Amino acid sequence: MRSLLANHIQNARQALQSNRARSILTMLGVTIGVASVTAILALGGGASKIVDNQINTLGGNIVVIRPGQALNVFSNITQPQTSQGYATSTLTESDVDKLRDLDHVNAVAPLMILGGTIKANEMAPTDSKVLATTSTFADISDLKLREGQFLGEDIAENAAVVGQQLSVNIFGSESSIGRTMTIRGKQFVIVGVLKMINNPINFNSIDFDNAAIINFETGKVLNDNVSQIQQINIRADSVKKLPSIVKSAEKTLQNNHNGERDFSVLVGKEISQPTSQLFYSIAGVTAAIAAISLFVGGIGIMNIMLVTVAERTHEIGIRKSLGASNRDIMYQFLIESLAISIGGGIVGYLAGYVVAFIISEFLAFGPAVNWQIAVSAVVISIIMGTLFGLYPAIRAARKDPIDSLNRHE
Amino acid sequence: MAKVTARTPVIKLRGLKKRFGIGDAENYALNGIDLTIKKGEFVAIMGPSGCGKTTLLNIIGLLDRAYFGDYELEGKPVDSISRRRQALIRSKQIGFIFQNFNLVHRLTILENVALPLTYSGIAKTKRLIMASEILKNFHLNEREYYMPYQLSGGQTQRVAIARALVNQPSIILADEPTGNLDSRTSHVIMEELAELHKNGNTIIMVTHNPSLTTYATRVITMLDGKINTDSTGKVKTIKTRRKTKTRTRKSIKKTAKKIIAKANRKKGYALVTR
Repeated sequence: MRSLLANHIQNARQALQSNRARSILTMLGVTIGVASVTAILALGGGASKIVDNQINTLGGNIVVIRPGQALNVFSNITQPQTSQGYATSTLTESDVDKLRDLDHVNAVAPLMILGGTIKANEMAPTDSKVLATTSTFADISDLKLREGQFLGEDIAENAAVVGQQLSVNIFGSESSIGRTMTIRGKQFVIVGVLKMINNPINFNSIDFDNAAIINFETGKVLNDNVSQIQQINIRADSVKKLPSIVKSAEKTLQNNHNGERDFSVLVGKEISQPTSQLFYSIAGVTAAIAAISLFVGGIGIMNIMLVTVAERTHEIGIRKSLGASNRDIMYQFLIESLAISIGGGIVGYLAGYVVAFIISEFLAFGPAVNWQIAVSAVVISIIMGTLFGLYPAIRAARKDPIDSLNRHE
Repeated sequence: MAKVTARTPVIKLRGLKKRFGIGDAENYALNGIDLTIKKGEFVAIMGPSGCGKTTLLNIIGLLDRAYFGDYELEGKPVDSISRRRQALIRSKQIGFIFQNFNLVHRLTILENVALPLTYSGIAKTKRLIMASEILKNFHLNEREYYMPYQLSGGQTQRVAIARALVNQPSIILADEPTGNLDSRTSHVIMEELAELHKNGNTIIMVTHNPSLTTYATRVITMLDGKINTDSTGKVKTIKTRRKTKTRTRKSIKKTAKKIIAKANRKKGYALVTR
């Protein structure tokens, strides 16, 4: 059996070499598909890793609560949920208060992300965000100030902290303490400027370099006195207490929501699902390319294998007359299609990393390199080779030996 | 498989029928063949084109399964043998020699000869050594790495015979093995087959050439899917074959010519060498 397998592999190599141009073109379909998948996974992995590292840097004792049920990993990639959903958030201020009272909870900060125009000397770019939160937020998210101070209870309600890039964008200067700007037409005084962190991908889904941070209560006023909490960050006393906090937070929130489970309590890796809009737009396009090219590549394999079977009908007849069983013939052609798809897959894996490294030049994070991505590339290739090579292989195996022998090349 | 002795029929066919087409187009290529072939026989099957010779050979060689009637191979009904097992029998016990050689064009001579060994599960190095050995017997060892198209017709057929023998099969089925060869080369090939017969192989050969039947120990002529004449059912030993060569050659040639001429007159068949 092993010698037969080796023979099939040698046969596949000979057959592919004898039609080199045809084999390479067929492989190209698989290569593009696998390259797209590899690029998505590598960049996705890179984005997750960045958030992971952030959580770890913060001591790993962060619990994040988001409205709605958490989706599984697959839906996260295919149906990305942005932090600004169109539906009203299910998290309320009373949730925040109740969470604050839980044991071992060190600090709680609600996040309310608002739209609206930020304007001073210049208009801020449209992707600049306004975050309404409490003074504890800076601590939990480890925000460092370049100058001035963060929001606090003793600070005026129209105070605001801006990111360094936003300051440059609207004032033309990194130093903007004491200057005024308008958000949704309301005036705010700058009390602090954040240090440049150049990290748009983080578990708060906010690019802090391009954000204005205002008081939670003021944000509520801007939002017609409605609190629209997109996320609640909780910091625990210690990492060991995280499980008990998750349990009690879930219980408390469920009671507070009349038994409805319309929120997700996330810790560790659950938080680090990439949420950047940029990442999702790239991932969305690449996933579509990947799916289409994998399918087209698969059809290419099937087409070429059907042609190969037709061309080699006489050979099938000879082999059967010399003792090849239907199964032997099927394996011979299946291995040939697998050789095409795995060959294309390996090239695609390498090409995917090249693409990922090029794209990452324009992003704030690099692609992740891990064995899971390599295994995924190989598994996709094997599935494609088998799926699209099976029908031609079965056709070859079922050929009548006498008819095949009479079919001259 | 049952133990085979010299008297055991290697092949036993009872009421064998093979139909092509349905309804008005129905045609029986084989129409009730009863035939027993014993171990060590050299059977030549003759007859006009379309009389069912090749169909019979294909059924005997387990390539064709769609037939009516009984077929016992070495005492075992073929119906009861699984397809996979039949493939194994083709690989180990049956050697095919075709008129148009049927070598795989993209494989070297050596690889072509080693091909049946692949399906018997023999390791690569061993099967190449075995193929090389047998090619040496056919004086083709210097052409091991040639491609089939680089050989002459006679050399190609010798390669095909070498391939048929590499597994040391007990039955050799030859479908017009000299059909594409000139008369001199034909006799060289027939001498090779005679040599194999001398070594105890059962040979069943389809031919259109009456002069080649002299190498056979038994000549069967077919007409319209039936056995028309059967020269003898007796197994001749190799020694007697040599002695009776001249006598049988004349008589068989005469009979065969008569039958073919009669068939051509009657049916309007052309005796075509494929």
